Amino acid sequence: MRTPKIGRSNSRRDFLKGSALATGAFFINTRFSLQMLRDEPTSPFTIPWLQPLRFPNYAIPLPSWQPLDPLVDPAAHQRYEEFAPRYLYEHEICETQHRAHPQLAFSTLSSFCDSFPAPTFMMRYGQPAIVRMRNHLPATVQGFGHCDVIAHVHNGHHASESDGFPGDHFSPGTFRDHHYANTYAGGDPLEAKSTLWYHDHCLDFTSQNVYRGLAGFYLLFDDKDSGDENDPNPDALRLPSGVPDGKRVKHRYDIPLVLFDPRFDPQGKQVMDVMNMDGHLGDKYTVNGLVQPYFEVERRKYRFRILDGGPSRFYELWFSNSMEFQHIGNDGNLLPAPITANFVKLGVAERADIVVDFSQLPSTTTEVYLVNRAEQIDGRGPTGNRIPMASAPKLLKLVIRPKSGNALDPSRVPSVLKPLPAMDLPAIATRTWHFDRTNGMWSVNGQLADLSAPQAIVKQGTAEIWEISTSGGWAHPVHMHLEEYRVLTLNDQPVTGTVLGGRKDVFPLYAGDRMRIYMKFRDWVGRYVMHCHNTVHEDHSMMVRWDVVP
Amino acid sequence: MTSDNAMPHDRPQETARRAALLGLLFPAAALLSGCASRAASARAERPEIRGGPGAFAMNADGTRSFRDHELVDQDGKRVRFQTDLVEGRVFAATFMYVKCNGICRDLVSRMREAHALLAPVMGDPVQFYSFSLAEDSPEDMKRYMAEHGLDRLRGWRMLSGPSEAIRDIRWAFGFFEPNEELDRNIGKHTGMARFGNHRTDKWSACPALGAPEGIARGVIGVLPREDCARIEWYARQHRQNGRPIPGWRAS
Repeated sequence: MRTPKIGRSNSRRDFLKGSALATGAFFINTRFSLQMLRDEPTSPFTIPWLQPLRFPNYAIPLPSWQPLDPLVDPAAHQRYEEFAPRYLYEHEICETQHRAHPQLAFSTLSSFCDSFPAPTFMMRYGQPAIVRMRNHLPATVQGFGHCDVIAHVHNGHHASESDGFPGDHFSPGTFRDHHYANTYAGGDPLEAKSTLWYHDHCLDFTSQNVYRGLAGFYLLFDDKDSGDENDPNPDALRLPSGVPDGKRVKHRYDIPLVLFDPRFDPQGKQVMDVMNMDGHLGDKYTVNGLVQPYFEVERRKYRFRILDGGPSRFYELWFSNSMEFQHIGNDGNLLPAPITANFVKLGVAERADIVVDFSQLPSTTTEVYLVNRAEQIDGRGPTGNRIPMASAPKLLKLVIRPKSGNALDPSRVPSVLKPLPAMDLPAIATRTWHFDRTNGMWSVNGQLADLSAPQAIVKQGTAEIWEISTSGGWAHPVHMHLEEYRVLTLNDQPVTGTVLGGRKDVFPLYAGDRMRIYMKFRDWVGRYVMHCHNTVHEDHSMMVRWDVVP
Repeated sequence: MTSDNAMPHDRPQETARRAALLGLLFPAAALLSGCASRAASARAERPEIRGGPGAFAMNADGTRSFRDHELVDQDGKRVRFQTDLVEGRVFAATFMYVKCNGICRDLVSRMREAHALLAPVMGDPVQFYSFSLAEDSPEDMKRYMAEHGLDRLRGWRMLSGPSEAIRDIRWAFGFFEPNEELDRNIGKHTGMARFGNHRTDKWSACPALGAPEGIARGVIGVLPREDCARIEWYARQHRQNGRPIPGWRAS
């Protein structure tokens, strides 16, 4: 695994800060940051492991007899008749009161359907859907966040008008229809994705709105990754299955976990430093919206789909006993074959799909913690140092129940998961993109974001190679809309056979990194974007519009 | 930063005591005394600002307080940063200086175009603040504004003050370079614009060297909804003239 090139020991932080403030020399440490100088207040102390892990409800489609009112305009969507919606959803975006811990206060957050995290979409390939997003936020949102919204399914292969283009944000009292065809890119089942998430993508306010609660999972299943560990279909992978649905948690073994790092004021209300251009860094970790919850597991296999919700935090996730697990998927995709690992690194918006077999633990092991060992002291990115296991922040406590009778575990982790799709289209062009910072402004190729015109126009049905690089002291998780990409080389080295060699939709670049990617442009035309998914950078113009034309 | 920490709002009781004394000595000044007491009371509600440069504090009503630096504008008028420029205001702030040979000319040009797009709300409620990075004198700032045609534009002020105060403001707005040399090099100063609505604590930023429409959009992003009606009407007129304002919205 790669490590960033910069870094200082966190243990020196207080000493350096004190010295700097005492002498007036504010920059004696190259990692000195605005966050440290400001000496931001820390969140109130909270007692860990007081509350069980919670899960949102499934998103429920409207009854088959109930149309959307007003009716959907087919002319507003590409290939609407071809992918006629089988399910209609109505999602209300509204404010909600959320408390991340019993010792904290309720905070007013934004939400999809009064739920944080947002309701989980359980989608299936071949079953198109319309999701109507209705904006019921108040006209004035006090503090961080904005009343305008636009939902983006991260890693979705969707038409431009349904993709959540940042400039398509809409105001309270209005709605927007999203047509999700739920079709394989290019019709190729090897392009299947599984762990997607949806979040707000409002231009200039994505980081604030997502941090304010507008995020949830969008899971996709097909005949292979069918979501049924008892599936009689011989082609089915039979991975641990059963996504919890609200309070229905028992005998569910496919567990989505979204990680955030909020900060709270002395009264316990969630706050955000919207002024820090490096990025926002909190001092608490939440899992599915709760500070340090616990989760009871059986002695069997579990699938965990872990998402870094950002805005700027990077993770290196371990279990406290350093136990091994099977890394089966990165971002939205299953890998060609499982990789045995004992940690995963996550940049903002990346996902890790892992299978943990608790039956392999000794009977004396009754508790295991999920911990973050990536040291990060500001929004610029991780320092590259690994926090010792003993002092690493604990995110989630896994309480391992005693073995109960002859509990069967029909799930498995096959040795072959999802072969990589062929790169069979010759690349007809090579483009270069340099993510940089000039005069304190985020830029790509020296250009500032301008969504009114594309910086690249690509032809539908073709493939291209893009070379993406970065410099300076900031990490930039580069995210692509519409299509996934394949990393051909990273700093001129091939990445085949590793997690990075799988399909990617977001890839963290550290200072001086340069990657070559291969990407096809299929099925849909229109406006799309590529941007840094440190959403604070994204909101301050580190974004490129590119268009697909017929 | 000791001088920064000794701002009046940190000593509200002293201000109130003086105001009360003034009322006793000069009955005619009783009304003024009352006003001063109310002002002192309002300031008393501001929390103490802890931390180094760039720090701010959150008020009980969900707004925020910065250090109340004393500054001077192009007319020589003395103003307080928090009291006179931030509280209750909607504004766009940029950083520049009179003798800049770098990005300032371009920055001012684009801000001027954004000002034109925002004409219906400029001055009321939107203010444009250009903070001098070089302790420019009021005379220099006034001359600069005249040379660039800014003096005729409603709601645009240039402001100067001690470099430490301007740095505190700049850092408070998030425009900070982790490299000391770069941070102090005003020849490579920030080209970002900070947009703020103090009352709703709505903040955003965008490059002031980008498209003027983007700057206008940034301002509109923090505007109260009621003011957007004016922009909408104005944008409609503009659209008829072939110059729409893309992406306008209310906060």
